[in-house]
Amino acid sequence: MIMRSAAAGRAAGRAWSHIVQLFRSTKSPAHDLRALGDEDLMELAGGGDARAFEVVFDRHAGVAFSLAYRICGSRTRAEEVVQEAFLSLWRGGARYDRARGSVRSWVLSTTRNRAIDTLRRELASTSRDVYDERFAEQLPSPLETAQEAERRDDVRRVRSALGELPQDQRRVIELAYFGGFSHTQIADMLGLPAGTVKGRMRLGLSKLRLLLGDAPGVLG
Amino acid sequence: MSRVQAMSGTHDRGDDAAAYVLGALEPAEAEQFRAHLDQCPVCRDEVAALERTAGALPMAAPQHPVPKPLRRRVVREVRADARGRRAASQLVRPRPSIGRARGALLIGGAAAAIALAVLGGIQLSSSSTSRVIRAQVSGISGSALLRVSGGRGELVVRDLSSPPPGKIYEVWLKRATGAPLPTQVLFSVTRTGGGYVGLPGDLNRFREVLVTPEPAGGSLVPTHTPVIVVRLS
Repeated sequence: MIMRSAAAGRAAGRAWSHIVQLFRSTKSPAHDLRALGDEDLMELAGGGDARAFEVVFDRHAGVAFSLAYRICGSRTRAEEVVQEAFLSLWRGGARYDRARGSVRSWVLSTTRNRAIDTLRRELASTSRDVYDERFAEQLPSPLETAQEAERRDDVRRVRSALGELPQDQRRVIELAYFGGFSHTQIADMLGLPAGTVKGRMRLGLSKLRLLLGDAPGVLG
Repeated sequence: MSRVQAMSGTHDRGDDAAAYVLGALEPAEAEQFRAHLDQCPVCRDEVAALERTAGALPMAAPQHPVPKPLRRRVVREVRADARGRRAASQLVRPRPSIGRARGALLIGGAAAAIALAVLGGIQLSSSSTSRVIRAQVSGISGSALLRVSGGRGELVVRDLSSPPPGKIYEVWLKRATGAPLPTQVLFSVTRTGGGYVGLPGDLNRFREVLVTPEPAGGSLVPTHTPVIVVRLS
């Protein structure tokens, strides 16, 4: 039928929009998307599929938020860091390169870098103390959702492995990874030669590697 | 250090590798070590293994659930952005060069096809599963995926070259025998090469989905070899 009037055109336009909207509302059903791997989800997200990206968010935001909270020591800052990290992944999704690592490692390294930057900015004018309470914090928070409950085994396993490291190795790893300190800063704080600090990092990570093996959930 | 030294194992920069993956080298040291990695397969392997281990460290932090307001903010922003992208690259259009009457028929056909797809989607959404098929892209850069759910298809392209000036991409459906059948789906891509189109009809009846660059109004027979081929079976 050929449209002959503006009113008829508008009516047809509304009908068309409604049909397209219905079509869109049925795409990307969550139960389908959850069966896909992260890399395929990112491929869809790169094409503008918001629901695919939401599945990626739900998979990794918990660990990312926990990491940011541990580094920043502030819930508000941690939320800002995670929001920025995920939105940069969404907006740069077309540039995500699966050959350079998993989506999880991309999310976590981006979150860590942003959290460390935030921490450094906030502490730039104050001296940083190696005995900062944030590094002593080990209070587990309640895990509320089923998805987070699935992480419990991984969390227990990593904590147990870290707990088996000698204290001096664990401390340099935590100060570097969660504190964002360089090996020379750590050497100054602990009164050790820089080479000793790097040596402890290597011994600690190597032992952790042996303890964790190739556990896919933990190392994925 | 020479490659011979690296291969013979006579060098040892494992301490640097550990500090590097923990982000604990000073900036100048990190830069130097990255340059070393380009030449040293031993250190590359060491770094890859240690990065995998360091990737588990976030699990050592006290675990917290994602705050609901955080999720709401991210989802709201992402959905708004997706709507903006769709509006910027509205992809399904009638074919102006084929004539008003035929164009109107095509609009009607498209509406009918999409309406059928909607009905099909509703009927199948509770029981069907989707599969994602990677497309073969030839002669242009980029990648494409076809998601098929209950016979309904959605083509997602990424980093795809824009069609040549004056051309537009057209989607075709091909059965086991016979020439490709034209669809009303014509599309271009965003500045970053992204695009997302829904395909009308039941893909179970076809063997391949093809995409060719065609004159702006579309064609009734392909005038170019396919740049995207998706084999459905």
